[in-house]
Amino acid sequence: MKPLLQPGDELLVDVRAYRQSSPNVGDIVVLQHPQEPNLQIVKSVTAVTTAGDCFVQGNNPSASTDSRTFGYVEERLILGQVVCRFF
Amino acid sequence: MTLSKLIATQIKQWFPAPPVHAHCDGPCGVYDPASARIAAEAVLSMTKKILDLQPPIGNDAQVMAAYQNTMSRYIQIKEEQAQITKKELLILWTDYFKPVHLEQFPDLHDKFWKAAKLCSACKVEVSLSHANELMAAIKEIQEIFWTTKNRTDVSWYTAS
Repeated sequence: MKPLLQPGDELLVDVRAYRQSSPNVGDIVVLQHPQEPNLQIVKSVTAVTTAGDCFVQGNNPSASTDSRTFGYVEERLILGQVVCRFF
Repeated sequence: MTLSKLIATQIKQWFPAPPVHAHCDGPCGVYDPASARIAAEAVLSMTKKILDLQPPIGNDAQVMAAYQNTMSRYIQIKEEQAQITKKELLILWTDYFKPVHLEQFPDLHDKFWKAAKLCSACKVEVSLSHANELMAAIKEIQEIFWTTKNRTDVSWYTAS
């Protein structure tokens, strides 16, 4: 997710952001990896279906494993929205 | 330290945040020099086959076509597998190996650079000696790789 996020950055995540509404394109989200148990990842939402499923991508396509590999992610796996980064 | 930073540091100590990952290739962590070794073996095998293939005697068009077809296939596979070998080595070099490994093996960059150069040589030439050197270079990299993982149970072997 460089240059937006750097390794070690501390993020504030709103885990209630999507209780009332679905993620929007452009949101930075923390999600449960759909294929790797116990792995939480941070990605950008680049598309959302009417059911709320999200297509998520990293900021560096050549280095990122994302929805191009694992497909749309169910909304229940989206754990929260990144709302700010601590400096 | 400002008061706000002091407060933030204290909060972080009280409530440490769980980590999230931006890359999935790191946590997967499945690396093995065997991928490079298998491709390099194919390079060595194709090099031998190219050198051993006898050109046909006479002017039979069909026999000549069969010879050229076989030779072309050997060449194509050799070049393809040499490129795959290089790619697999670069994955190990750039993704797996970290600065801490370089401290342990100061000639790591040189070894990878020379191995990658050998891939190029094997792709361009029909050189049995370079193909054998490539296998030897990968053997050395395999030994370094498993040493960094504190594994002594992985011995070098070849498929052919």
